[in-house]
Amino acid sequence: MKANREKKRLFVGGLGQAISKTDLQNQFSRFGEVSDVEIITRKDDQGNPQKIFAYVNIKVAEADLKKCMSVLNKTKWKGGTLQIQLAKESFLHRLAQEREEEKAKKEKSTTDNINVLEKMGGIDFQMKAVPGTEVPGHKNWVVSKFGRVLPVLHLKNQHKRKIMKYDPSKYCHNLKKIGEDFTDTIPITSLTWELEGGNDPMSKKRRGEFSDFRGPPKKMKEMQKGKGSTVSPRTSRLSENSTSTQRGAAQKMPCASLIPNSSPVPDSGSQKLQSVPFQISDLETARKRNSMSDDDIDSEDELRMLIAEEENLQRTAWSSTNESENDLFEVVSDDFKSDVHKLHSLSGLGINNGSCRVSDGIMGSDHEYDSGDTDEIIAMKQNISKAKNSAEISQTEKPMHNKTLKKKEFSNHCNKVQKRKINKESALSNGVKPLNHKSSDASSGDDEDSEGDEEYKAIMKNCTRVNLTLADLEQLAGSDLVVPEDSESSGPETTCCKFDRASKSPKTPRTLGQGQRCIHPEEILASLLEEENTCGKQKPKENSLKSKFQAFRGVGSLYAKESVKKTLKESVDSNNINENQSSLKLEDPSSISVENESLCVNGSSSKLSQQHPKTINSPNHTLPQKRQFTFQTQDHKIVSSSKRGGRNSVSSLLPLKGKKSLSLSAKTYKIGIDKDSCHSTKKTVAASEEEGSDSSSLTSLEKLPEVSPRKDTQEGTTDISHSISSSANVNAKDKYAEDNQKRLAALEARQKAKEVKKKLVHDALANLDARPEDKPTHIIFGSDSEDETEETSIQEQRRPGKEILKESVGKASGQLFDSSDDEELDSEDDIDRFKIKPQFEGRAGQKLLDLQSHFGSDDRFRLDSRFLESDSEEEQEEVNEKKTAEEEELAAEKKKALNVVQSVLHITLNNPTSKGSVAAKKFKDIIRYDPTRHDHATYERKKDDKPKESKAKRKKKKEEAEKLPEVSKEMYYNIATNLKEIFQTTKDTHEKEEGTARNEDGGGDEMEEIRSAAALTSGTEQPSGFMFSFFDSDTKDVKEETYKVEEVKPGKTVWKGNPHFQDSSSEEEDVTEETDCRRSSPGEASVPEKETTRFFFFSKNDERLHGSDMFWSGVGSNISRNSWEARTNSLRMDCRKKHKEAKRKVKSK
Amino acid sequence: MRPLTEEETRVMFEKIAKYIGENLQLLVDRPDGTYCFRLHNDRVYYVSEKILKLGANISGDKLVSLGTCFGKFTKTHKFRLHITALDYLAPYAKYKVWIKPGAEQSFLYGNHVLKSGLGRITENTSQYQGVVVYSMADIPLGFGVAAKSTQDCRKVDPMAIVVFHQADIGEYVRHEETLT
Repeated sequence: MKANREKKRLFVGGLGQAISKTDLQNQFSRFGEVSDVEIITRKDDQGNPQKIFAYVNIKVAEADLKKCMSVLNKTKWKGGTLQIQLAKESFLHRLAQEREEEKAKKEKSTTDNINVLEKMGGIDFQMKAVPGTEVPGHKNWVVSKFGRVLPVLHLKNQHKRKIMKYDPSKYCHNLKKIGEDFTDTIPITSLTWELEGGNDPMSKKRRGEFSDFRGPPKKMKEMQKGKGSTVSPRTSRLSENSTSTQRGAAQKMPCASLIPNSSPVPDSGSQKLQSVPFQISDLETARKRNSMSDDDIDSEDELRMLIAEEENLQRTAWSSTNESENDLFEVVSDDFKSDVHKLHSLSGLGINNGSCRVSDGIMGSDHEYDSGDTDEIIAMKQNISKAKNSAEISQTEKPMHNKTLKKKEFSNHCNKVQKRKINKESALSNGVKPLNHKSSDASSGDDEDSEGDEEYKAIMKNCTRVNLTLADLEQLAGSDLVVPEDSESSGPETTCCKFDRASKSPKTPRTLGQGQRCIHPEEILASLLEEENTCGKQKPKENSLKSKFQAFRGVGSLYAKESVKKTLKESVDSNNINENQSSLKLEDPSSISVENESLCVNGSSSKLSQQHPKTINSPNHTLPQKRQFTFQTQDHKIVSSSKRGGRNSVSSLLPLKGKKSLSLSAKTYKIGIDKDSCHSTKKTVAASEEEGSDSSSLTSLEKLPEVSPRKDTQEGTTDISHSISSSANVNAKDKYAEDNQKRLAALEARQKAKEVKKKLVHDALANLDARPEDKPTHIIFGSDSEDETEETSIQEQRRPGKEILKESVGKASGQLFDSSDDEELDSEDDIDRFKIKPQFEGRAGQKLLDLQSHFGSDDRFRLDSRFLESDSEEEQEEVNEKKTAEEEELAAEKKKALNVVQSVLHITLNNPTSKGSVAAKKFKDIIRYDPTRHDHATYERKKDDKPKESKAKRKKKKEEAEKLPEVSKEMYYNIATNLKEIFQTTKDTHEKEEGTARNEDGGGDEMEEIRSAAALTSGTEQPSGFMFSFFDSDTKDVKEETYKVEEVKPGKTVWKGNPHFQDSSSEEEDVTEETDCRRSSPGEASVPEKETTRFFFFSKNDERLHGSDMFWSGVGSNISRNSWEARTNSLRMDCRKKHKEAKRKVKSK
Repeated sequence: MRPLTEEETRVMFEKIAKYIGENLQLLVDRPDGTYCFRLHNDRVYYVSEKILKLGANISGDKLVSLGTCFGKFTKTHKFRLHITALDYLAPYAKYKVWIKPGAEQSFLYGNHVLKSGLGRITENTSQYQGVVVYSMADIPLGFGVAAKSTQDCRKVDPMAIVVFHQADIGEYVRHEETLT
């Protein structure tokens, strides 16, 4: 029974709130063994439980489960209806399970790999991958194309009712992916690993590494191997191999990891045979990949792997990791690398010039003479640079580094083992790169145990160099001894450059040592010099300067090394060479330290090869010592120093002299170099070098950089550094001390000469800059006006101008530039001028001159003698005629076109014959008005006369508009106070009227009362108020009316009809008439109301209206009108006066 | 390079007039200088007098183009406007169609304008009227022919074609080699 029990996960929904875990456990323990209960409560936003359910992990038999379901499902329990369902396994659980399974499988596969194979009746299919071979022991199974074992199918033809035999070995396109659940074969975990650290091409590409086109041959090898394995009996090793080959094949495929499983698998029983080994291999690959990815992190593991691999020595698919590492580099040659190097350094400085090429050529030769050793060294150097500049150097360097490795492979003089080691080391350095130098130390320590060779030393050097740089950087950041130009921001850059140089410089001596020693150095020197010069030119900062000197030092070190080589050259054995190189390497640090100008490291540099860990600490200690050493070293080099002193004096004198002195300094420098070289190398070399330096000096002379005032300080510092470095060298190796000193002396001399040059240039440039301020107007080129004048005068005028220009140029350039060029140019110009000259002679010449001046000085429009055949006037006429002819042609064409347009558009156009004016008229609407143009004045609207007249009007109107509202406002207040009374009175009247019959008299009295009340309040303000009242100020009103009418009429006649006045006056008249009527009425008997038409709400003579009458009259008309009238009168008078004046004026005119 | 014959001129003007109507005369008769049409390699160029003079110095077989190419004559002697003429059509266009930003791309890829992409249209556009297509930001995008009159445009369903595509500024990229 127990065996039947399976672990199930049940979903129990619809639980009540009160249910606890134990409840559930009890409930379900009836059916099986409850292992875990998980209650989940879903809450809404207020925190009220909405949904409660549980997951119960239970070990239950199938029957019990059913029972449980039937019993408990949809039953009510503690306030909820239970719902029981089978749930998916919990994620964590499943994960754990999977892992377990995986582990088990792994174990299985690793331990009894073959057992499984045998158990499943598997057969080694790799024995013959030739398509068409039948699989032994299995009928109808053949090896198809692509080495897959596939069944021969017998298919019924659709149309022919014929059974066809389908032999997969004869068809190519029989690969079809059949979906499987991959979870069985490849667990998720391994998949993820795959993504991270797989070494299949896809993931490689994803990581940005691209393999070379190496696949096919390798495959062939594998195939062969597979064949070979068929012959031998089945061993574990063989199976491993086979699996590995399979895997290799799989890796070749794009979707590598899954392909083996997805091979076309029919559902026949015999199929298992095949699928099983595939699976196994798969598992293995997965495991291996896991280990691989581990290796990526763990360098030790990788090391071991690599060693194992080396033992193999065969290129199995397994080695693809290494190969793929090397893959990337195959295409590019050494030249390219050097180029990149240069580019890197140059791009940092913003230059690229021919020097690059020269050095490239050297590199090419370098390539030729390369042995494995040199390659290694180069690689080491590159590693160094890489490690150092990990932050700065872009990824482009990475392939470079790899390239060298590749090259190593090609040049293969050493064992493969060695190479592997190198690879390893490089890998180590790669791995270390992200880490600190510390780790690199550790790794190198590891290497120490394994190999004590030169490689180890080189590695060590790497480490030390890293340390150096670090120390350097630290110093840069912290100490005050920092070289001034090495500002913190530019620090890394310069160091980068330095290291580039450093890596370069050691490389070149190798080539020298190997082969054409006498020819190369000069080239190198020249290239270096050129490069540096350009660098200095381009870079305003003194970084370049510094780098320059470093490079020189590097060159110097080259010589030193050379000499060393010479001495040791007697021993020609490869081992000896190795030794030699190693010794050279020993020297290298010191040279590097010189290059670095790191004050602290020099002292310890000699020890670096033995005690690299100490270097970090040593700088601080060595600092004080160095100072002392400097003196000592100076004592040491008596001869050299004296020489140097002489040179220095010469160089110090140089600035006073000039260009020649410059060259002298260059020569002196050359001599210094020569001496150096004499000591170290053969005389022949020296001779050739002289040439090289000659060229270099020339280039330096030509391309002179700007110099900042910081020079001096820099000089001082560099000097100090020199001495220090020299002292360090003495300490390190007495043997090479002299060489070094001499070199340094030469360098110093060179430096001084440089500075002198720079100063000179600086002065010259400063002069140049200052010039325009002094006399900016002196450089005058012939202007048009001058052209117009006579020829001779032109010549004369131009001459001085040119001369001035020349002078200025000469001054500016000083002795730097050969003025011969300028003179040549000048002379050419003069010749040109003279050529043109004769044409201007005589009258005709003058005319031509005029013509020219007319056309401007543009060369394109220069009218030479062609235009002046017999008589210039005729010529002009001709030209005009031509022009007119052309124009006519065009006009005719246009006419035609317009006609066509007319016909097309079916419209009549204006006569297009008159081109300009008509067109202008036509385009009037679309012409853009340009106020600056005079002819556009026609488009301006003339407002000059009218506005004058209307101004007064406008003013009037404005005044009216302004002042009217003010008055009305005041009135409004008054009336508003009255309004209440009015309404009250009307009420009264209503009350009265109710009682008695309507009486006009009574009404009139009341109105009088009201009016008087109104008058009390506002009477003072309206002296000439016009009212629609019955009794008050009638005469006044009438008078005003009459007066008004009289006034208006003359105005009308004079002015051009103003309907407003007319209307208003007439209205007023009407009103007055009305009032007159009413005035007469009070005296008589009461007028019946019915005489007027009755409106809907009120009759015409309604008393209420009377009140309101007064109201509105008070607001609007009365006062405002009065004031307005007064004003208009005055204005009218004004206007009239003005008009009369204007008339008079017109008449007088 | 030669001036157009009368027939050619007529054909061409008829075509251009479909887009700019009476404004055609503004092209022919310009106040700012003399411009003329020239035929070269079956293509019609709208050239200013100055350029024409300069171009006269270049031999016909070497001359690639001059001035602005308006279009070309097909072998059947019909005139086909090129997108390069847009600069002269757009300012004078009488009937315009503005398309929505979402439909711009589609149009610039050479598709017709659907009603869904129609942002605005000049009223009383008749069917088969030449229209200049603008973006909603009033950038001329090309030209075409109205497939529906303005009235019909209101009725049709959103996926109906409203403007037939003839040329669009995408051709500067797509047909770079043929645009001269």
